[in-house]
Amino acid sequence: MIDTIEKEDNIISEEEAAQYDRQIRLWGLDAQKRLRGSRVLLVGLRGLGAEVAKNLILAGVKGLTLLDHEQVTEESRRAQFLIPVDADGQNQAQASLERAQLLNPMVEVKADTDAVESKPDDFFFQFDAVCLTRCSKDLMVRVDQLCASRNIKVFCGDVYGYHGYMFSDLGQEHHYVEEKPKVVKGSNEANDGPEAKKPKVDPNETTMVKKTISFSSLKEALEVDWTNEKAKSSLKRTPTDYFLLQVLLKFRTDKGRDPQPDSFAEDSQLLLQIRDDVLETMGLSSELLPNTFVSYCFSEMAPVCAVVGGVLGQEIVKALSQRDAPHRNFFFFDGLKGSGVVDYFGSK
Amino acid sequence: YSIPPTMAQLVGPLRKELADSLSSCRVLVVGAGGIGCELLKNLVLAGFKNIEVIDLDTIDVSNLNRQFLFQKKHVGKSKAQVAKESVLRFCPSANITAYHDSIMNPDYNVEFFRNFQLVMNALDNRAARNHVNRMCLAADIPLIESGTAGYLGQVTVIKKGQTECYECQPKPTQKTFPGCTIRNTPSEPIHCIVWAKYLFNQLFGEEDADQEVSPDTADPEAAWNPADAAARATASDQDGDIKRVSTKEWARSTGYDPVKLFNKLFKDDIMYLLTMDKLWKKRKAPLPLDWTEIQQIEDMLIVETLRSQLIEKGEGAELVWDKDDPPAMDFVTAAANLRMNVFSMNMKSRFDVKSMAGNIIPAIATTNAVIAGLIVLEALKILNSDFDQCRTVNLRCYSFDTLKPELHHVLSYLTYLCICFSHLV
Repeated sequence: MIDTIEKEDNIISEEEAAQYDRQIRLWGLDAQKRLRGSRVLLVGLRGLGAEVAKNLILAGVKGLTLLDHEQVTEESRRAQFLIPVDADGQNQAQASLERAQLLNPMVEVKADTDAVESKPDDFFFQFDAVCLTRCSKDLMVRVDQLCASRNIKVFCGDVYGYHGYMFSDLGQEHHYVEEKPKVVKGSNEANDGPEAKKPKVDPNETTMVKKTISFSSLKEALEVDWTNEKAKSSLKRTPTDYFLLQVLLKFRTDKGRDPQPDSFAEDSQLLLQIRDDVLETMGLSSELLPNTFVSYCFSEMAPVCAVVGGVLGQEIVKALSQRDAPHRNFFFFDGLKGSGVVDYFGSK
Repeated sequence: YSIPPTMAQLVGPLRKELADSLSSCRVLVVGAGGIGCELLKNLVLAGFKNIEVIDLDTIDVSNLNRQFLFQKKHVGKSKAQVAKESVLRFCPSANITAYHDSIMNPDYNVEFFRNFQLVMNALDNRAARNHVNRMCLAADIPLIESGTAGYLGQVTVIKKGQTECYECQPKPTQKTFPGCTIRNTPSEPIHCIVWAKYLFNQLFGEEDADQEVSPDTADPEAAWNPADAAARATASDQDGDIKRVSTKEWARSTGYDPVKLFNKLFKDDIMYLLTMDKLWKKRKAPLPLDWTEIQQIEDMLIVETLRSQLIEKGEGAELVWDKDDPPAMDFVTAAANLRMNVFSMNMKSRFDVKSMAGNIIPAIATTNAVIAGLIVLEALKILNSDFDQCRTVNLRCYSFDTLKPELHHVLSYLTYLCICFSHLV
């Protein structure tokens, strides 16, 4: 007697059934099949990128393309476990390829050494999901816009020191299912009192409920108008990490890189200046982001990459498998506090 | 703008003093599985240099969807050993000691634990967690406790004198079912699966008086009046029925004949249950099966395989049920499904039976990655002596709750001290 999960159509090989057993028992065979048919583009192979790559390869996607034009340096290897120690000077995607592939031979892993800015629109159309790390705001907005029209799921994420975020745009109409306990109509037990009238929830039987949800574009999410009364009143409940993200994206645009430990003095001054400019443009006070933030947003904290990479990886799995409610649409993680929060910014 | 001077010197993302204390401290990781692999990776990348890891287990193919330090070629090898080798490949300067052993081995005494500034659990069972909890209390070493199951996870810091310990709060015990539910009136597939596991032990394994499979004549629900129940119980003791001969002896006397086994379990015993008519007043009565109608060739083969395994082991031998042993798993699937059929329940696939019979906890890489990240962040706070910053973090349905740890109750602390001392004597 073989371990049959589905008898018809040879849907899953014995090797897949054995290796993916523990996750199939969680998200089901349907979800695993959808993953197995999905192609994903991952841009940026530093600490966060390596974590996302690991998580998607282990999950069993059809193909993962690692795209990065930068070279390995001692600093870039800091939170990266896929790149060999003697690979300084090599291309980051290329250097990560071998160990990424070994994580799961059943996934097609490829390396692309081009700069993402140089890719034409149709390059992105071959993928079911795109995950952008270490990209400029303009690039992310462009890719988000052109993917939305093709129902390609878009994800963005970064880690800055102790802080990290992820953003998702799953389109105007993202369909998914949720597994809920089945409600069973009470049976006609003669001597059961009032309880017989309540429908009983059968803990053993579940049913799949279909849902649809819509997402905002990245452009609208980043261009919230804080000057109107409604936005001002919601300010108290808004995670300050959202504003920190705006500052760091502006730094990245202006300097063409992220804050670097060996330029700490110069970069921290610039960060504080950018903070003042960005918040002023939004009509907000500099006090929203106190000076101390500069000490904790340099380089990538490996454990923060693990947390953000885990959440981001799972969101991509959810979107591709169309199962379980996605986070909508930002996740912010503060490694100093150990606190994570999901919040929505953008069009209603 | 003025920046605090202590922040002026960074080693990567960390200020220099913290980076230095990470590279000099010694930590112990208990477990090299789902959480353990992720934890080891995070520790070395964060800058920890002296790490000891212990795990008694070997690598299985079902680990490979998440225990990323292992590849298919490592199946069967020591988890702790292979984890160490894989980590050294991306961080050759790390000083890692691996133990293929149980942490409950008395060699790992209080002195052993005192070697470390911090202990982190990456375990999957309560016995080991209780043990490490007590050792860390006795050695006065901070412990970071954690666990994951599916999408859920938790991280807790335990420090003598500052937080409650792992055993302070009572933990729910494993669910058990009443004997008469298993033997007489199953109403859910799990009851039939438990019955099938009992049956395996009765026929092929170590017989246990608490794992009877035949009808329970002393079932209080079966009696129309209390005197009747007592009479039935005495009668069954006296009339020398199946219960007095061990099930294994009886099966052996028939040569493990599948047809005779089938008829006793799914026809004769069911017909006996039907005579206990009070049970079926408000329940759907079971339907006995007829061998000539069912004719499961596969079932015959299963019984045959198990019988030969038993013979191989010799006289007085016992098989131990193992979910990963195909004939044992097939037997439980078949027996459970036949019983579900008798009691008009929807039958279950082998896949589902294996989950329930084998107590399999679903597991994925991402939950372990998040929890292991949180563990290291707590570790950094401990090394910074920021105990008041330490949190218990719950990863529950995609949001994070953080609760401050409670102050330790003096009385319970004293009790555990005594337990620790008695354990060490």
